[in-house]
Amino acid sequence: MPTINPNFAEEIKKFGAKDFNLCFNCGNCTAICSLSTNDETFPRELIRYSTLGLEDDLKSSLKPWLCYYCGECSTDCPRQANPGELMMSLRRWLTAQYDWTGLSGLLYKNLWAYILAMIAIFGAVVGISYFSEFTHSELMHIGHLFEMVAIAGVFAIILLPNIIRMWYFTIIKPGIKVNLKAYFLSLKDLLIHMFTQKRFLGCEPTRENKMRWLLHLILVIGYLSLLFTTVFLNWFSTTSNFIVWLGYIESAAIFLITILFMQKRMRKVDAMHKHSQPSDWFFVIWLFLMGFTAFMVRLLIDTQQIDSFFWVYVIHITVLAQWALIIVPFGKWTHFLYRSFAMYFDALIMAKEKK
Amino acid sequence: MKQRIGVYICHCGGNISDYVDVEQLSKLIANENNVVISKDVMFACSDSNQKEMIQDIQEKQLDAIVVASCSPKLHTHTFRNVALRAGINPYNYVQVNVREQCSWAHSDTPLDATVKAYGLIRAGINRVAYSEALDNIEIKAQKAVAVIGAGVAGMRAAIELARLGNNVYLIEKEEQVGGRVAQNGKLFMTGEDGKALTQRLLDNVKSYSQINLFTKATLEKVSGSVGNFNIDVNVEGNLLKLNVGAILVTTGFDYYQPSENEYGFGQTNRVITLQEFNKLVENKSKELSFDDKPVNSIAYIYCVGNRQSKGPNRYCSRYCCTAAIHSSITAHEKFSGIKAFHFYRDIRTYGKQELLYRQSSLNGDVYLKFEEKEPPVIEVENGYPVVKVKDYLTSRKEIALKADLVVLVTGMVARSDSNSVSDKLKIPVGNDKFFNEIHPKLRPVETVINGVYIGGACQGPKNITESVQSALAGVSKINALLKKEVIELEPIVARVNKETCLWCGKCAEVCEYDAIKPLEVNGKMVAEVNVATCKGCGICAPVCPNDAIEIAEYSNHGIESMIAGFAAQAEINQTETQHEEKDENALVGMKEYPKEWKTILESFNGTPLSIPQISNMSGLAKELVTYHLMTMNRYGIVEPAGLNDEESYYLYKPKNH
Repeated sequence: MPTINPNFAEEIKKFGAKDFNLCFNCGNCTAICSLSTNDETFPRELIRYSTLGLEDDLKSSLKPWLCYYCGECSTDCPRQANPGELMMSLRRWLTAQYDWTGLSGLLYKNLWAYILAMIAIFGAVVGISYFSEFTHSELMHIGHLFEMVAIAGVFAIILLPNIIRMWYFTIIKPGIKVNLKAYFLSLKDLLIHMFTQKRFLGCEPTRENKMRWLLHLILVIGYLSLLFTTVFLNWFSTTSNFIVWLGYIESAAIFLITILFMQKRMRKVDAMHKHSQPSDWFFVIWLFLMGFTAFMVRLLIDTQQIDSFFWVYVIHITVLAQWALIIVPFGKWTHFLYRSFAMYFDALIMAKEKK
Repeated sequence: MKQRIGVYICHCGGNISDYVDVEQLSKLIANENNVVISKDVMFACSDSNQKEMIQDIQEKQLDAIVVASCSPKLHTHTFRNVALRAGINPYNYVQVNVREQCSWAHSDTPLDATVKAYGLIRAGINRVAYSEALDNIEIKAQKAVAVIGAGVAGMRAAIELARLGNNVYLIEKEEQVGGRVAQNGKLFMTGEDGKALTQRLLDNVKSYSQINLFTKATLEKVSGSVGNFNIDVNVEGNLLKLNVGAILVTTGFDYYQPSENEYGFGQTNRVITLQEFNKLVENKSKELSFDDKPVNSIAYIYCVGNRQSKGPNRYCSRYCCTAAIHSSITAHEKFSGIKAFHFYRDIRTYGKQELLYRQSSLNGDVYLKFEEKEPPVIEVENGYPVVKVKDYLTSRKEIALKADLVVLVTGMVARSDSNSVSDKLKIPVGNDKFFNEIHPKLRPVETVINGVYIGGACQGPKNITESVQSALAGVSKINALLKKEVIELEPIVARVNKETCLWCGKCAEVCEYDAIKPLEVNGKMVAEVNVATCKGCGICAPVCPNDAIEIAEYSNHGIESMIAGFAAQAEINQTETQHEEKDENALVGMKEYPKEWKTILESFNGTPLSIPQISNMSGLAKELVTYHLMTMNRYGIVEPAGLNDEESYYLYKPKNH
């Protein structure tokens, strides 16, 4: 029999949840949610689990990832209990649960730890630059090497084990038996949701929601292709005009869209932008910086000014290292993976239940 | 015998005349014996008609009137006043109900409605012919009041009664006044201290010389009746005789005492009542502890001893939800680290008290809902209670809570010693053992005993506000009663024919109001009616073997003549009435049943079924099944067949044509 954890409410509040104890269980949030179905109802159920601190039930639930935060539930909550923000906080909390290192939880809950980690990486980059005497060819070489190592390393050491843990918590531990065939058949769900965020379109089809989905889609495509362009097509050193222009477009798309996203978080008009946590700000600002500094570095190379403004490259590589070593493995970046894998695991469970 | 009778038959705008042929009736009635004038009028109660009636009475020198209109409950007083204004006795007026009893009840058969109305009106005419002129009974009243119970309601009432110039005897059983409120610390909503509040009232009571407060005093004996009660009070062994005009009972309530093992009560000392918890919170200063161990997690269990589907305690005490939530907020404010879990059935923090519920939610209090059939179970592990419940808000998942304290939120029950008061005053007691008023909505503080009033929680669960409100309502009733020092009572009471009465005592035996006593008249024992206590209920008349007792206005010949009038042959002509025949059964025109009806009928296999069962078998949603069953029932295709075993659903079965 699950036991009530009286301290869980305090814990989840550290991840950003607000006022959810005002909930009197009317269920309006679940009724109004366009994504909640008869088979999978939320957010009320998760508010209840959080209120009682039923951690095992929360940990095995994929439902937080099935919400795309249109904010209707928070707008229409008769008690102003902010169900949407609780769902967001549960996603942060789950990220911390999946992470075997425990660093995600530390960074989400402790802003100073986050800042110190960012400063440490800045120091390391400056140190390495110092030892390589700021010769830009060598540093650019190291930078490119770092990108490849970081991607492979972070994926192998952090992200892959964490995905396996997520699979364990949601499929294996609750005892859901899925046959191998389903694992293959459902792969299409994984890919579709990873690259299109198709489920987002299930939210109330307002103009704002459609626009948000489109901008997010462009951002994801821009980000992934810029990653490919810099790492595998070696954008900063290429001589192909096509690749150079491709990189410009991709990086411009990133920093322009992130400017829009930052504006929304500052204006706090829609429910989902009202309660930005530090992790949200770090994510959007660093994404902007990545796009912007990459754009500038290539511009300086093309205008042959890179020697005079080499510090721009040092900034770029700092942003890159902070991004790759903190935000990607332990920060908000992981929602890219967990959301799509949640859809994948959910498809497995649903396939099983249909039988 | 009245021989100049006026009869007025009302159309009630059409309410009556659409079905009852009032015009024909008024012509027929004009031929009745003793009827001088017979009219049909659009609205008998209208000002213009009242004036016309007065004019008729005076011009035609009528000595009695009959109005055939609506229920006497509506307009008896209206037309008694008309009689009075025209100069005849109000009791020479009879109202006949031809609306509720004729036109509304028999709208489908207008001819029958007219025949019935004719009979009733003739009965009314015969009755009024036998009517007598009666005057109200006047009784001298003592301007003194006994208030029983010096709790918050009793003291508040005593102060107001004294302020209005009555002598007050305030009788308290305990040594201290203040009752339950004095046992409380901080009170909800106002935040005042219960002891301070009652002390303030006591000071106020003492400032009135008209109030005589007796503590350690109990009621011994009560005799007499309204205006003149004689009360024997035992004050610490001394007998005191009081003479009062009215009595206000404000004896309060008891807290429900949990039985052994009810929610673990008695199994561990860590299961306590809300009252014990409040004392604990009040007495601790820095840290909340119990048995020298800190208390952090507290489980409140609601509706203990109330809202039970069996036994006398079926009601809700209403105050306890607010009281428990208020205690939880108080504990939260006073001590740090308190986690509260409320195991409730429904939260009733009505009115402004809802703000307390909101505050407790904001404090992080958790609410878990259970139903009576699946109550929380308390087990003891290492001396600490563990509450296990199927939480209805978490899809009835079984959940456990390790609690440092379990607080039983107990409701109110009638005082265990309340019959010592109710027996002496003859106040009727309900199934719930609380004292009963005459009418919960319209006469909420009066009892069937004239001059005896109830206020506060002796009548049923009330919070302080409501207790004081009802006690003050009693004050205003009592003050209105005693103010003139003369009490006027309706003259419709029993009277004894002293010639024929042989005093067998049968009438006294059946009288529920103790209004009949033997009396020696001219050397012979006869029955004597106390007109102040007699309610004119009439129970004594039929038991008298000598027909020596009757009720004013309800004499034997009066009633016999009414029956004769009603039963007399009536010849009414069927006239063109305004209505068409009701739609013939719509089924006649129906070629076949709708699809859903067929599906529902196919579900039946010989045994009656409930709506959920039909829904399961037919695949139709429950709402649809309900809707179609209603229609099918109306057309006589299905019929109800009682309740299911759990008494939770009605069963239906197809009706055979």
